[in-house]
Amino acid sequence: MPPQIVRLVLLTIGIVGSYLVARFFLTPASFGQYGWYRANALVEIATPKAVYVGAKACDECHAEEIQKVAKAEHKNVACESCHGAGQAHSDNPDRNKISVPTDSLCVRCHETDPSRPEWLKQINSKDHYTDQKCTECHVPHQPNEVP
Amino acid sequence: MKTRISRRRLLRTTALAAAGVLGATLARTVKAAVQKLAVSSAGPKGYEPTKHKWLMVIDVNRCIGCGLCVEACKKENHVPQGPNYFRTWIERYIIKKPKPGSTRGEVLVDSPNGGMNGFPPATVPKEEILHSLYVPKLCNLCSHSPCVQSCPVGATFDAPDGAVLIDPKYCIGCGFCIQTCPYGCRFLNPITRTAEKCSLCYHRITRGLKPACVEVCPGQARIFGDLKNPVPNDPIQKFFATNRVQSLKPYLGTGPRMRYAGLDEEVR
Repeated sequence: MPPQIVRLVLLTIGIVGSYLVARFFLTPASFGQYGWYRANALVEIATPKAVYVGAKACDECHAEEIQKVAKAEHKNVACESCHGAGQAHSDNPDRNKISVPTDSLCVRCHETDPSRPEWLKQINSKDHYTDQKCTECHVPHQPNEVP
Repeated sequence: MKTRISRRRLLRTTALAAAGVLGATLARTVKAAVQKLAVSSAGPKGYEPTKHKWLMVIDVNRCIGCGLCVEACKKENHVPQGPNYFRTWIERYIIKKPKPGSTRGEVLVDSPNGGMNGFPPATVPKEEILHSLYVPKLCNLCSHSPCVQSCPVGATFDAPDGAVLIDPKYCIGCGFCIQTCPYGCRFLNPITRTAEKCSLCYHRITRGLKPACVEVCPGQARIFGDLKNPVPNDPIQKFFATNRVQSLKPYLGTGPRMRYAGLDEEVR
């Protein structure tokens, strides 16, 4: 074989070889398990703890109250919709109290708004018993009952 | 010019090379196993991505524009505060009554702070409004995602269970995906300097919880389910059985899997 060809072949082998070696060491171990990405990323993204704990966690202690809510108008509203994220409270119920919403949260959903669908019961807070609190006439957990 | 290689030397070199290849492979396998163990011990137990197909759909008729979903999303996913960083947000569409001779009037769209604190009263008096609606927006879960195609480092990908995710360790923060997403669902996190988007609350759904926005939605506007494992009275199956649905910007060919019921033609 002529020497210039030998040099070319050696050079090609060198380049391809170093590419293969680099690829071998630089490709993440879990690459290609599901596709052209690092499969370990899936687990890493799934690792953080949930901040909103979900109704099941509430049910562990407040089953009775939840059953009562389930019969009333607000049955489809989750606990954490009004009471906020429950992680701190469910981790340590004695030290971290769950938040109790105020009137501003009631009108956040129930204020009259032409963009809101008509099935939702809406009030105009400017002329709906302005000097009284919502809870004086409505029970949040049983909206159709009078306290 | 000829070099002679003795048999002994040839055998020795070949054996060394073979040992090197085997050793490297072994080291790599061990490294992979250790990595997998370290990673999976922190993650959710017994979750197999190939056995699920998640989907969120939205019933616009049920959205009341309270913004609890936006607030919950920010808290759940530690999204930075500020009016430009949202994994999900709500838009208000106000379509005015038409002038004589036309069918639709002027369209006003707003989303103050993503709707996170609710919406201020509309600036248009009720008599002038033809239609008005709230539309929750989030990742459209495209099946031919432009974001996945444009990522130069393969950091964003379609997970086997239907979520479009970002690998934060490989994202270089170039922002190509932010430009290519036609739904504006991505942003650059100013703290981590990586692209971020709705992950369908991947850390929640892999543990059997609903995404935070679905959990807190008081109107059941957001419906979430597993297409591969339908439950009795599956809300997502019921949604498709009872509604006529459409997707956003289907003409772009991104193949969005998200479906909306009750949209108006002005919604893009």
